[in-house]
Amino acid sequence: MKRILIGAETEKEIEFDPSALPFQTLEDGTSLVLHGARVHRITHAGRRLLVNGKEVSLTLADPRNRRRNGSGKDDSGRRDIKAAMPGKVVKVLVEPGQAVDAGAGLLILEAMKMQNEVRSPGAGAVGAVRVTVGDTVASGQVLVTLE
Amino acid sequence: MVEKILVANRGEIAVRVLRAIREAGLTGVAVYTDIDRRALHLAHADEAYPVDSYLNSQAILEAARRAGAGALHPGYGFLSENAGFAALCAEAGLVFIGPAATAIRALGSKTAARDMAVRAGAPVVPGTDGPVRDISEARRVAAAIGYPVLIKAAAGGGGKGMRLVEKEGELESALRDAASEAERSFQSGEVYIEKALIRPRHIEIQIFGDNYGNLIHFGERECSIQRRHQKVIEECPSPLVANNPAMRQAMGEAALRVARAAGYTNAGTAEFLVDAGGRFYFLEMNTRLQVEHPVTELVTSVDLVHMQLDAAFGGKLALRQDEVTWRGAAIQCRLYAEDPANQYFPSPGRIDRLRMPSGPGIRLDNGVYEGWTVPIDYDPLLAKLCVWAEDRPKAIARMQRALRETEILGIANNVAFFRQVLADARFVSGDLHTGFLKDFDYRPDTALSEAELEAAIAVLAAAEPKQARAPLVVRSNWSRQ
Repeated sequence: MKRILIGAETEKEIEFDPSALPFQTLEDGTSLVLHGARVHRITHAGRRLLVNGKEVSLTLADPRNRRRNGSGKDDSGRRDIKAAMPGKVVKVLVEPGQAVDAGAGLLILEAMKMQNEVRSPGAGAVGAVRVTVGDTVASGQVLVTLE
Repeated sequence: MVEKILVANRGEIAVRVLRAIREAGLTGVAVYTDIDRRALHLAHADEAYPVDSYLNSQAILEAARRAGAGALHPGYGFLSENAGFAALCAEAGLVFIGPAATAIRALGSKTAARDMAVRAGAPVVPGTDGPVRDISEARRVAAAIGYPVLIKAAAGGGGKGMRLVEKEGELESALRDAASEAERSFQSGEVYIEKALIRPRHIEIQIFGDNYGNLIHFGERECSIQRRHQKVIEECPSPLVANNPAMRQAMGEAALRVARAAGYTNAGTAEFLVDAGGRFYFLEMNTRLQVEHPVTELVTSVDLVHMQLDAAFGGKLALRQDEVTWRGAAIQCRLYAEDPANQYFPSPGRIDRLRMPSGPGIRLDNGVYEGWTVPIDYDPLLAKLCVWAEDRPKAIARMQRALRETEILGIANNVAFFRQVLADARFVSGDLHTGFLKDFDYRPDTALSEAELEAAIAVLAAAEPKQARAPLVVRSNWSRQ
């Protein structure tokens, strides 16, 4: 069976049949996968997985949806900057239309008295700022769109 | 006789104290804010009363009155080192489980504690005796003790109002900056100057006193592994002091001299800095139970919270100094909801999955559960994972084993970070200093082998059977070695 593997930056096809690997799911939700005699301990919650203690993000999806579910960019090149963690917006550093370089500060979030600057992952222009100072944002909420 | 005790705190420390109250056959009373109405500490209480804030002393006293509580345990943080609150408890007829308000007040400011230490004959870091008055005094002092020097806020903590000055040319502007930052942070612009120690260790002494003048110490804890001036790994004994009983005795006696001068009772901790030559300097007294008290309990076989209850109700110390013994080694890792790959930024949110370790030599002081949402409003400490073993290498190996059993998903956390720190050759050698983590280059390990990736796909495919039959796209942040 053919599968397509998409990493953060790359995609590639792999040949692998998951049903060929025996595994046991223990009562507490941890899965033990035997690869030969080697035991791999895996647990997951949604797309976050712990694989032998290493935390990674993995999803399985239909290849026909691949484009839509890409790295946050849609076909027009628009890119949503999302909150990595919940927090409160204490400062907005950019305005719509403003050009930004990679690494430029977009806004400042605060949680548990710690402040953290959200930076632009690449160069572009600010399309929209979706939050204002004082907003409480959830993890994954769109803060700014870049074009 | 007190039968009911209110615990004016939340999280793992509220659980810790409520457990001791149950063990003592007494009734535990919790308080909780609206955000905490489903918090774990309520499950360990017999009664619970809402308050608007853990800092609202009037609301907490009112809860104690409604409950008919005879005593109050403040935990750490919040109101625990507030002399005014301790005095209010006494006025309300509540036994405050901690030192007397007078002792908290006497040791409350760093400069007051330093004065007391100097008078008691405990070594302090060379510097000004009190707040520095002007730039000419600052120049004179700094020249006398030698650069580099540290400027610190008298009322401060947590690195606020602190400046490192390497040479005289930088002194004037640093003094101005530190004073204005201190003014903004603590409503007091008073600053003092002390010699900056290079790569010091942070080692502290646990002390304990009853109401009859008996004071003893329980040796040291090594707390040099810190980020943002906050400890994350603590050990007992210190790798430096473990084979140096004379140093332990000298530090213990210095701590007790300061405590005696302040009329100290109940549990407390004297913090010291230790320089590269092994000379120690008194820093400050923490007039409460410390976050890291379990490592001392594991190695000295005492229960400090039970001792706190006994002493507060007029019990005499059951131990003499020469009966205190140290056996084996204990390590504590503070499990935080924070991202060590992103400046330790707090990561509140829902805990989607939580599995905690067990087995030989493990002690877990936990404050959370699977499905609980870690609120944005409080300290991100989830749990304290402690281990005990016969010696330090075995304790490190046991902690590594325990961390491998620990699974937290849904929030960023420092479990994988600790596994790397504990594997670091300098950590293993015991060569520690407070800048250790600044030098430590943490790189999250997300590289999966081919076999691990296949194993992960198998588990995901089984969880989503429909998609498993269709051709698959795997999306990941996994990267090749």
